[in-house]
Formats: sequence, structure tokens, C-alpha cells
Amino acid sequence: MVKSDVSDNLKEKAIAKKTAVRTSIKAEKRRVATSVKGVVKRSEKSANSKVHTGKLELLITIVNRKKADFYQDLLQGFEVNMQLACRARGTARAQTLALLGLEDSPKTAIFSIIREDKIPDALAALETKFQTIKDGGGVAYTVPLTSVIGVAIYGFLSNNDKTVKEDKQ
Amino acid sequence: MKTFEHQLIICIVNEGFSDLVMDTAREVGARGGTVVSARGTANKEAEQLFRIDIQPQKEMVMIVVPTALRDDVLHALYKEVGLNTPGQGIAIAMPVDNVVGISDGKPNAEKSENDTDKK
Repeated sequence: MVKSDVSDNLKEKAIAKKTAVRTSIKAEKRRVATSVKGVVKRSEKSANSKVHTGKLELLITIVNRKKADFYQDLLQGFEVNMQLACRARGTARAQTLALLGLEDSPKTAIFSIIREDKIPDALAALETKFQTIKDGGGVAYTVPLTSVIGVAIYGFLSNNDKTVKEDKQ
Repeated sequence: MKTFEHQLIICIVNEGFSDLVMDTAREVGARGGTVVSARGTANKEAEQLFRIDIQPQKEMVMIVVPTALRDDVLHALYKEVGLNTPGQGIAIAMPVDNVVGISDGKPNAEKSENDTDKK
């Protein structure tokens, strides 16, 4: 009698153990599944969000001083948030200028930070304006930037308000 | 690796030497440039150490040249307006990947050679 009682107890214990293991495995599986779902959702969210991770370039535009404001406004249309305009002058020889009846060739060098994907459109627009506007000729070129420090600064330079919001969180 | 057709040469010289910079660059084939006024901020201790006097008023000459001309222009600038000359110039070059507004990439020297060949 005693022997059969002991064996029953052992059996019960074994069954209890098995069910406990099963439930813990199920719980673990559920936890893994939810975490995987979360990761997938997050990656989908980041893919859909408009946070831009492209490179920035320094666009240097040299134009006549009279037309500097016009070109600055034009470039602002290509999501350029920061521009620096410096007074400059051309390097035509004094003799050549005198021959043409000119005294000086005042220019403005506009330094703008622009997103890489906006460059083709911006340069196409600049080229058209250089060729069509009277006294609106100029030169423009871009220099690739290798690093920018700071999320907010990157967001500002690339005209990306998402990065600023993320930074606040 | 990305290759660049043009290079931007920036030469920083004492005020009044930008014409010399342009003349030197033109001699080796550069076409035109832009001069921006600037102000130098040299380290006083370094000035004393190297026994040179830094004139704060500077001119920054920016010249876009085809990559093939870069070394020639830099060498010429080093010789004519380098740190050991009154111009006390420093010249650096950086790649430029989109150029608009330059009629053709050929420098004056190359152009005249081609013209003579045609004749």
C-alpha cells in the first residue's frame, strides 16, 4: 500500500513538473514572438519614416553681387537652411576690365549646405538661370562633407524636422 | 572609389597677393578664380616659435581646375607665393564633384594647343 502511494506521488510530481515546463516554454515562445513583432514593427516604422540619412555637401555659388539675393532665394527652394554669403571679387586682369570699361567685378560667394539628393535639381536650376538671366552668369560647384556632429545640427542642415522631434524624446 | 574631374584649390595669402596667385595659376593652365577677403588667426606662440610675423588681413583665392592640373598649380603656388615668400601663402586642394558654369573643362594652355593643332 505504502509503495503504491509513493509511486503515485512521484507520478503526480513528474506530471506537475512536465506541465510547468510546458507552460514556461509556451510563455517564452510568446515573449519571443512579441519581441520579434516589436522589432519588425520598429524596422517598418523606421523604413516608412521620413528621417533622411543621406550625405550633405557644401555648395559654393559665385555670382554677381547684384544677383546674390536672387540666387540665395532660389537655393532656399531646395531645402537649403543655412547659407553664408561673402563679398568677393573676380580675378579678371585690371587691363581687361579697363578695356571693357569696367572698374571692378564685385561678386558674392554663397556657401550653402545642401542634401546630396537635392543637388541635381539645384544645379540644373542654377545652370538655367546662369544662361538666361541678364548679368546672372556664375559658377557653382559642390564639395562633399565627410562629417557633421550633432543630431539637431544635422536635422537643421538637411531640413529634417523628424530628427529634431526624435532628439526631444 | 569615386573619381573627381575637378579640384578646388584654395590659396590663402597676405592681402595684395591675390593677383600674383592668379598669374601663377594661369601660367600653368588655370582659367579664373574668385577672391574673398579674410582675416587670419595665427597662434602667437607659434609665430614666436617659427619666427614669422603673420599679417592678419588675408585674401582667399578659390580656383577650380581639372584634376590633371592640380599638382602643377599647387607646385607653382608653393614656389611663387609659398610660406617662404612675402605672400606667405598656404594652398590646399579638395575634390569637387558637380561643376556648373564653366564653359568647358579645358584650361587655356590646353585649348591654345588644340587650336594650333587644328590650324
